[in-house]
Amino acid sequence: MSNLRIKNLTKRFDEVLAVDNLSLEVADGEFVTLLGPSGCGKTTTLRAIAGFCYPDEGEIFFGDKIMNNISPNKRDTAMCFQSYALFPHMSVWNNISFGLKMQKIPIPEQKKRISKVMGMLGIENLEKRKPGQLSGGQQQRVALARAIVTEPKVLLFDEPLSNLDAKLRVQVRVEIREMQKRLGITTIYVTHDQDEALAISDRIVVMDRGHIEQSGDPYTIYRNPETSFVAGFIGLANIYEGAIVTREDNRCTVETPFGKVDIAFGNQKIPKKDKKIKFIWRPEDMKLYTKGAPNKIKGKILQAVFMGNITDIFLDVQGNKMRAQIDETKKLITGDVIEFSIPEEAFSILRR
Amino acid sequence: MTQTDNKVKRPLHLIQARKMRNYYLLLTIFFMIVMIVWVGVPILMTIMWSLVDPKNPWSYPNVFPPSFSLAQWKFVFDYTNIGRALRTSYSVAPLAVLLSLVLSLPTSYVLGRRKIPGKKLFMLLVLLPIIMPGMVVALFLSRIFTTFGLSQTFFGLVLAHTLMSIPYMIRVMTTSFQAIPQDVIDAAENLGANTFVKIRDIFLPMIRPGLLAGMIFAFTVSIEEFNLTFIIGTPTFETIPTILYSFMGYNFIRTNASVVALLMMTPNIIMLFIVERFLKSDYLAASLGKM
Amino acid sequence: MKEKEISPIHILMLFPGVGFILLFIGSSIFLTLVQSFGVFSITGNSLFTLENWKVILQTRESMDSLLFSLKMGILSSVGTVVVAFPVALFFRKGGTGKGILGSIIKVPLFIPALVAAFLILNLISYHGLVNTALMRFHLINEPLRMLNDKFGWGVVFIQIWKNLPFVLLIIMASLASIRDDTIDAAKNLGAGYWSILFRMYIPLAMPGILVSMILMFIKAFGDFPIVSVAGPIYPSSIAGRMHIMATIYQEWDQAAVLGVIIIITAFIVIWAYSRLAEFVKGEI
Repeated sequence: MSNLRIKNLTKRFDEVLAVDNLSLEVADGEFVTLLGPSGCGKTTTLRAIAGFCYPDEGEIFFGDKIMNNISPNKRDTAMCFQSYALFPHMSVWNNISFGLKMQKIPIPEQKKRISKVMGMLGIENLEKRKPGQLSGGQQQRVALARAIVTEPKVLLFDEPLSNLDAKLRVQVRVEIREMQKRLGITTIYVTHDQDEALAISDRIVVMDRGHIEQSGDPYTIYRNPETSFVAGFIGLANIYEGAIVTREDNRCTVETPFGKVDIAFGNQKIPKKDKKIKFIWRPEDMKLYTKGAPNKIKGKILQAVFMGNITDIFLDVQGNKMRAQIDETKKLITGDVIEFSIPEEAFSILRR
Repeated sequence: MTQTDNKVKRPLHLIQARKMRNYYLLLTIFFMIVMIVWVGVPILMTIMWSLVDPKNPWSYPNVFPPSFSLAQWKFVFDYTNIGRALRTSYSVAPLAVLLSLVLSLPTSYVLGRRKIPGKKLFMLLVLLPIIMPGMVVALFLSRIFTTFGLSQTFFGLVLAHTLMSIPYMIRVMTTSFQAIPQDVIDAAENLGANTFVKIRDIFLPMIRPGLLAGMIFAFTVSIEEFNLTFIIGTPTFETIPTILYSFMGYNFIRTNASVVALLMMTPNIIMLFIVERFLKSDYLAASLGKM
Repeated sequence: MKEKEISPIHILMLFPGVGFILLFIGSSIFLTLVQSFGVFSITGNSLFTLENWKVILQTRESMDSLLFSLKMGILSSVGTVVVAFPVALFFRKGGTGKGILGSIIKVPLFIPALVAAFLILNLISYHGLVNTALMRFHLINEPLRMLNDKFGWGVVFIQIWKNLPFVLLIIMASLASIRDDTIDAAKNLGAGYWSILFRMYIPLAMPGILVSMILMFIKAFGDFPIVSVAGPIYPSSIAGRMHIMATIYQEWDQAAVLGVIIIITAFIVIWAYSRLAEFVKGEI
């Protein structure tokens, strides 16, 4: 039985359709990330789960119980806010104990839980300070402690790391993930940062304009994007269309603007011969051509940007623009003509 | 499928939600009615009293005056000193505002843009005229004025009104000055502006809203000022508040007082709308709230 | 914003504003203080004495006036804040009709205190609208004495009516500094309506509440015109008593004593309120 279920959720703000008939099931203990650009509806969905946002249509279930009319303070959720939302007039200890106080948990038990959580997050020495005296990273950890100490059924994160500097972001997201794994709490995490999503999720739900584009584990989302939006939003993509010329059981040849291309498609569903398909491959899939490698592509370098561990190359292939990333140590300059190859498995066929 | 099946049965939680929304709507309407009554009834009553026809006095058991007339208004203007009071009030106020403006500009500039030691203390000191109980200041300041021959003089009155207006002026102006980003001034200097240009093209335009807010508050404070005026000005000078007081005290004629009250109120209410429309009236709240 | 350094000119620039205030207020307070001890007395003699203080503190009328004014001050300040707070919370939510409503509720702000006294006076006087209506609907047999009553309810009501928008603005400004996130977080962690009110809104709006209560207390405690018009025959307000002492009895020195008492009380109350606010904040 799934722990959290969203059924046909629709929410409008004045004329804008923020969430459009969205359905999602989350398993017990699963870490699901809602990923998408601003305005895609991910935060609205999160707030609907928390109870801050009343659905115009659709239902939200925790287990079997319908939650729509249950006010946020009676739901068993705990949320970490982008701004941390610590209570400025309370000490760290009182911030963390707030939820427990509301649940009327006896003081000895409170003390036990809080000490344990503060220990887990390394913030024991901060207990008497006020939020104004803490650094960003410390505030983030206090916010996290405050949420998990209540042992909620569902843990919610609203872009908790966007106010931290890059290095801290990487460090804290790992801490969050480990904490979640240890405690096994169902978690919904909202972010627009694709690296974050790939790094810590069990499952990524990519959203755009109020609906779900694709839902799957990080590997599948990255290697087998189903729509051009998903392909372009996560990682870099070369997207082209072509007509199927020959077709076998698990391979086909496609006529593209830059020549014939052989695609191996595993268990993706592929239309018949002569049909047009849209496909992508990632710049890092393009390798320097060696004898016998599949899908030889010859292109003129428009711009080669040396970035240290890789070189980012913008190519012109018979008038078609393409991007490649290779870890070549030799210096490449504009105007050079290079030959590449693309493995057949690197391609992904898009639905739209 | 019969026709009735087309009407989908609304799930329970949606019905509950609709009930909650209605409840909030009702609460809002209730609040609105209470507020309109709270503010409107006293004013309406006074308007009615001022319009009572002297030939048909208004008393129990009538809920409304039996007939209306402008006789009271004529009476008040013909037979009382209301004209003189109006003139005094409206000549002292602009002068007091001007004087407080002149006195507070340098002070506000310095408090808002320079590192003055003890700035917090100064900001509190500036509030003294508001904090000190009015009648105490009135009585004993009048003794000092008497010693210097300022009592019962127009100038003395202006000084007293200025004293009460300055705190508001300084607080609001300091906030205004403080709000000008140093970057803008640096940019102007970088482009060759001298002091005169800086004042005319940067400072003045940017403090204008605060300036206007301060002047309006100072004006209102002066028009309403009672304690100091009562002790220092009466009986030589009468302002609208003091004449209203006299109508309410030993000389209580409800209808006269109604007219004066309305006269006193109307310019203020007009100013209310000006303030609401063109300025943020939270200026005062913000500047006072930052104590 | 980095404040720039100062030069002597800047100190000089402080004088027009601050100097003016200190000059006039300072001198009048000074005079009040010294005259209460008999120095610079208007009689021409200048003799330090505690006689005036003894007389005042032993006079029943003066003590009654003091207590009455204290009562007015506390009731008015607490009353206005208690009425204003829910209204401020209501306005915080935003929504339909808040614009017009906002303007309406602000009207008393621009009505002078005396006028406000008069308006309410009309309403609640012995033959005023409220009594007439109540009798009409047979709810009472005899008019209620709501004005010039022994307790002073008329004065309190007038103070609340007149000062509500003022306090409302200050509290609204304080509430505005509370982020929605913070309240959402409290709700999320299980806080119900009353918890949020007492643990979030009130402590976080405390600066505004404190300022309003101080200003209101001083206004109401030291008030002269409103009490003399709408208050009981006896006792008078302490400011009223001081006025009579000075202008009618010409006992300026004794009036000075009352003046000093008023000033000291004002400061004591300011101090007490701040302690209270710290306590409430610290409790959480």
